[in-house]
Amino acid sequence: MTEATDLAERAGDRDPRIGLRAVSALRRLLEQLEAVQVRSARNQGWSWQEIAAELGVSRQAVHKKYGRQ
Amino acid sequence: MFERFTKDARAVVEGAVLHSERTGADTVAEEHMLLALLDREGSRGSFALAALGLADRRDSVEHDLAEARRRGGLSRADAEALSGLGIDLSEIVSRVEEAHGEGALEPGSGAGAKSGDGRRMRRRPFAPEAKGVLVQSLRMAHARRDRHIGDEHLLMALTARGGVATEVLADHGVTYESVTRVLYGDGGAAEAG
Repeated sequence: MTEATDLAERAGDRDPRIGLRAVSALRRLLEQLEAVQVRSARNQGWSWQEIAAELGVSRQAVHKKYGRQ
Repeated sequence: MFERFTKDARAVVEGAVLHSERTGADTVAEEHMLLALLDREGSRGSFALAALGLADRRDSVEHDLAEARRRGGLSRADAEALSGLGIDLSEIVSRVEEAHGEGALEPGSGAGAKSGDGRRMRRRPFAPEAKGVLVQSLRMAHARRDRHIGDEHLLMALTARGGVATEVLADHGVTYESVTRVLYGDGGAAEAG
């Protein structure tokens, strides 16, 4: 049995593993989505300040993470 | 931590770095270790992979790894877990690709952190998951009372991690149980972990 079907079957049992796995997956997906959107904004000429304001974080935080472009 | 690694195990670690560079990834990930393992010949690890029929299925492995990369590096088990929350990962992937081009969600596709034009990385870091593989290979060698860490221990660790590489290996019949059966003639008597 693959892990995927195994997890799917456990979903009905309210196994914490499935919920935790979803949170972890969502976090990794979020990182990729953020990177795509930040790059897109930069390509359209947005400043780090503008991007940071939309993301609700400091300019330093977003620049430190995605800077050197 | 590498002093007990065999020549083959070191070659896998070095090969993984090369695969990471070749694909332009930001880090050395589990999938690069898997590809480096597939490159080995005449080692314990390559013996196990050949015995389990993986030697001729490299294309299939690479295809499955590419699919996972396109999903943002998420495994099918991740996608199942997300669908339990009502999130359709394939729908997200297709919408993002519609707006930002094919492969937009791929880690290290140029979209990742600190990977823009000035791609001048001092040293390619190992992703936390890949570090975990190294640590777990030590534990597995210890549990087996093997004195050296060979590429077969790296393979065993990869089968026990639960990420994309583990899933792709399992889809090709390479699991912790099947590897230990081929190498030690048991069904994984020493627990994974």
